Amino acid sequence: MNIKQIAKAAGVSVATVSRVLNHPESVAPKTREKIQKIIDEEEYTPNWFAQGLNFKRTRTIGLVLPQNINSANMEVANAVEEVARQKGYITLICNIEKDPRREKEYINQLMTRKVDGLILLYSTLNEEYASWIEEENVPAVLIGETRARDNWDSVFVDCRAGAAEMTAHLIECGHRRIAMLCGKDPEPEAKAMLQGYKNVLKASGIKVDETLIYQVNNNIEGGYIGMKKMIGRLPKKPDAVFASSDEIAFGAMDALKEMKLRVPEDIAVAGFGNDRMSSLMEPKVTTVELPYRKMGIYGARMLFDQIEEKEAKKEPKAEKRRRARKIQLQTKMRVRKSCGHRERIGEMF
Amino acid sequence: MLETTFLGMKLPNPVMVAAGPWNRDGKGLKESLEAGAGAVVTESIVSDTMLDVRPRISCDRLGAQNIRMYSDIQVEGWEREMDIAKSAGGVVIASVSGHTPSELAYLASKMERFGADAIELSVSNPAAESLEVVASHADILFDMTKEVVSAVSIPVMVKLSQNTTNISKVAKAVKAAGGSGVTAINTVRGILGVDLEKAEPSLSTYGGISGEYIRPLGLASVATIAQTTDIPICGVGGISSAENALEYMMLGASTVQVGTEVMIKGKESIRKIVQNLEIWAQNHNVKNLSEIRGKALDNLKAFDEMKFEPAVSHANGVPCKENCNLCVNACMYNAISRSGDSIRIDRSKCTGCGLCASICPAKKLKIDL
Repeated sequence: MNIKQIAKAAGVSVATVSRVLNHPESVAPKTREKIQKIIDEEEYTPNWFAQGLNFKRTRTIGLVLPQNINSANMEVANAVEEVARQKGYITLICNIEKDPRREKEYINQLMTRKVDGLILLYSTLNEEYASWIEEENVPAVLIGETRARDNWDSVFVDCRAGAAEMTAHLIECGHRRIAMLCGKDPEPEAKAMLQGYKNVLKASGIKVDETLIYQVNNNIEGGYIGMKKMIGRLPKKPDAVFASSDEIAFGAMDALKEMKLRVPEDIAVAGFGNDRMSSLMEPKVTTVELPYRKMGIYGARMLFDQIEEKEAKKEPKAEKRRRARKIQLQTKMRVRKSCGHRERIGEMF
Repeated sequence: MLETTFLGMKLPNPVMVAAGPWNRDGKGLKESLEAGAGAVVTESIVSDTMLDVRPRISCDRLGAQNIRMYSDIQVEGWEREMDIAKSAGGVVIASVSGHTPSELAYLASKMERFGADAIELSVSNPAAESLEVVASHADILFDMTKEVVSAVSIPVMVKLSQNTTNISKVAKAVKAAGGSGVTAINTVRGILGVDLEKAEPSLSTYGGISGEYIRPLGLASVATIAQTTDIPICGVGGISSAENALEYMMLGASTVQVGTEVMIKGKESIRKIVQNLEIWAQNHNVKNLSEIRGKALDNLKAFDEMKFEPAVSHANGVPCKENCNLCVNACMYNAISRSGDSIRIDRSKCTGCGLCASICPAKKLKIDL
């Protein structure tokens, strides 16, 4: 059945059926029940395209991810989808494989499909492209620190503080020669972490040794290769390695195992992120928890706030963008076994 | 007689129901208001709900220990719950909890939009947080309070913890940041006891202790804040009677919150406290409770201001037939002895410590010049 047939069966106008579907509170309860009964019996669902045309909304949001084989990104996506689902929206997830060109392509595609909003995770968009999105007046939220887009709503994590805390922990465990396997992306976060690491070394009277800092691809392979190179090249192995992501740490641990070096007895390894696997590795990985779920939840919440504000205004372009909302989240130390910390108290507090 | 204006809000009485699972949703909040509460505080609303550990509450004769009790309703769901809570009329305060200023500000502004009359920042829960609760750091608390205050136009109160070295400093930070009031105190980090046969603590991790155990700590905290900071105070910690509520008020609290008593005895306990408060006020010819606010502070001096007088214990109402010998056993200076029905005090040995007077069930001993 289509909407006309439903209207006929109920003996009401098409407009009344439409109101039951979209603004049920505006229809008298008795009439509403009668129409709803027919809708339920006939298992009628409105035409999605037609609704999009009529209401200028598709009840769809686009989520652009740097990569989808990464479990951390999927945790963010999962949280976004959970909020969207509650709001009655579906989420189109696009994986750009860390390719800025593909990011633009996908955003274009999503705009063409008239999504009601966009969430970009660790976006690398440049100024020009970001301005174009603004002109299109599509609600959009950034997750992760992104350069130059100060006027966008965003949620990000204080990674500098997290890295500083981890570096301090490694020093407290008695390590002095602390190397860093620093991922190339996401860039602003990696830079902030490197800064946090260096600051703490300096403050602790340890000279920053640039030969101990390796830029690697942010994945398991990157960690593996970086670790092999580092041990191969350095005349004296470091006491500890701080990886800017858990995946890098996993790769590094794999390489160390191959080289018959024990963690943490011969070399300590610390990760970043608290990936699900980090507590299942042997030894369990000491890491810094990133609030992936909260990042997704806040990203989606802020997007729906924008969508609702836009709907309430009706006149979208009339008003200037209000001041951007920025939500900063916190990391949390997860002291486990890979750094040689013996006191249980550290694990609990 | 009990009407109170607190942070600009008109309350029928000063007895609020504290944040906790008994106020976990709209229905629970409405029931608390219907039981006669002057205002209600929601269970703490967080950014993302988490599964609760089981079991998480343990109690004994004097109080309770809990592990992490946060709302299991997502922010989105509170729009509906707040409507239900507000449907009874009455003041609903949203308790929000988070780890960064922006997170708290977001939650607070959402709750304001949903209809909350005020915000209580919950940054002092000792369970599942690190050894140092946020509320022990004046600087962090300042930033948090400031950001929340600038995000909402309703009053913002901050729940303080006794787990801090200087509660006055923390209360001052709240005031400096524009906070409208403070709630003191939250539960105190602790372990209720140990099962000796199983070698198991009462709960499987550290928790927050509430109830009678913490009332003396709460009273001291409220008094300290009242004596050092000009900010409205809501007293909380171990209140189970009108008398307990009055103790807090006489030490400077404008309003009070009841939590553990409601948890253990149910919501009717609120009505009882409010009724007895009214009876007390009538019997003492108190027109408005603000008359007694802070009255006991006049008699609470700094150590330096105290007089050093050669007072000693006097037994009055002798003969003493109590036969409990509590005073005799308690006297650390061997100054008290009994012969038959008479209590003798050796004035040359008595140092006027006051323990006997405090311990005597018949109040027959008195410290005097």
